This record gives sequence, structure tokens and C-alpha cells, in this order.
Amino acid sequence: MSVNDTTPKDQTDRVSFEVALSHPPEKVWRALTEPALLAEWLLPAFDFGLAPGTRFKLKTDPVGGWDGVVACEMLAVEPLKSISWAWVVGDIDTVVAFELTPTDGGTHLSIVQTGFAEQQKQNWGGARYGWRHMGAKLVALLDGVA
Amino acid sequence: MQRTATAEDRIFQALADPSRRAIFESLTGGEAAVKDLTARFPISQPAVSQHLATLRDAGLVNRRRDGRRVLYRVEPEGLRPLVDWISHYRAFWTERVERLEQLLDRMDP
Repeated sequence: MSVNDTTPKDQTDRVSFEVALSHPPEKVWRALTEPALLAEWLLPAFDFGLAPGTRFKLKTDPVGGWDGVVACEMLAVEPLKSISWAWVVGDIDTVVAFELTPTDGGTHLSIVQTGFAEQQKQNWGGARYGWRHMGAKLVALLDGVA
Repeated sequence: MQRTATAEDRIFQALADPSRRAIFESLTGGEAAVKDLTARFPISQPAVSQHLATLRDAGLVNRRRDGRRVLYRVEPEGLRPLVDWISHYRAFWTERVERLEQLLDRMDP
């Protein structure tokens, strides 16, 4: 088993991982699609469903001004092969896609999360607007902490 | 990861103080000297200087000399540790994949 972070160093709009798993795709698929199993490795899932369009939540402990909720919507499901869903935290609007490929030793799992670019542009454009935007968000965040 | 957490802590500590937050927000409107900032807030000049030093330590503000004046401005990369989602999610998925591998080992075949 090994995980390979294939995110390029200068990447600003995605993270990607290639994982060699010594377990068959059927088993990996269960870990990706059964809420009880998702809770054990990813995050507890609420209202999870495989039908595209299903809105569900992943929840973790609140941190700072964030309530710990990842708002998700199932986008595409191809059993035993691929699954992707929208992954939204605040105004960070991303998509997570998992792809499974059978190998001699088990399963090759690819994880790609895309969609950071626009958000980063908004925050880091260097424009004064961006700073004011961030300033206001920070104040809200810090007020939440206090 | 550890380094990032420390940078975040310093940013939060620097901005947790309402006066420092006000000074930082004021600087987002453009660079200013200590005297300018003292005129904007009911804070003494030494106190403003102290707040600016704390903001500089947190990497939120830098300064440059302009003749006899020292001008302070927002450091464009200063808040990056708080919104560096790429770094955050790289660490997140690396850790979660390890948990996935452990779970698969525990599961029935």
C-alpha cells in the first residue's frame, strides 16, 4: 500500500493523489459509499445517498469560525468505478472525484479535488477588494471564536 | 503542517486584539505612518508602534522607509496560511487515505 501525492508544486486549482491499495475494488467501493464506513475514515455523513443530485453533509468538529459542515451534492456514480460529489466549505466550492481501477494486487485509487482556483483568485488577486473581503471574513471568523 | 499551525496561531493571536484588528483593517486601505494611524485611533503612539510590531511578527504587515518616515503596509501574503486550501487539503487527504488503508485492513474481505 502506498499513497502518492501527485499535486504539482505550483498547483493552485487542484490536489490529486494516486493510491495503491491491496484490496479488491468491491471492498474499496464499500468504504467509499457506506456511511458507517465513510465515518471511519473520512467524516461522518448525514443524508448520504448515491442518486445524483442527493444533497448530504459531512460533519467534523467546529474549528475557528467554521461550523465543521461540508455541504455535498452527489454528482456522478458509476458503481465500482467512479464517484464524485460537490464539496463545499463556506464559499470554497470544490468537487471531489474518486476513481477505482482493478490491479493485480488490488485497486488503484485516484482522488482528485478541483475548484480552488476561483476562490484563490478572489482572495489573492492583490486587489484592494480582495483584502476588504478577507478582512470582513476574518472579523466574522474572529468574532465567532471570541 | 506544524509550521502552518504555528503561523496560523500567530495570525489569530495578532488579530484577536480589537485595536490591532482595526489597525490592520485600516492598512488594507493603503500604507500609513505611525503618526497617521495614531490620528485615526484613540491609541497612544507607543501603543500603535507595539501593535504594529506584533502584526509584523505575525507576517501581516511590513514596512519601508520613505525619507524620514516609515510607512507600514499590509503584507500581501500575510493571510495566506489561513486560506491556503491547497496545503490544507493535501494534508487532509494524506491523513484520510492512511485511515482508509487501516479501515480496509480491518474490514471483512
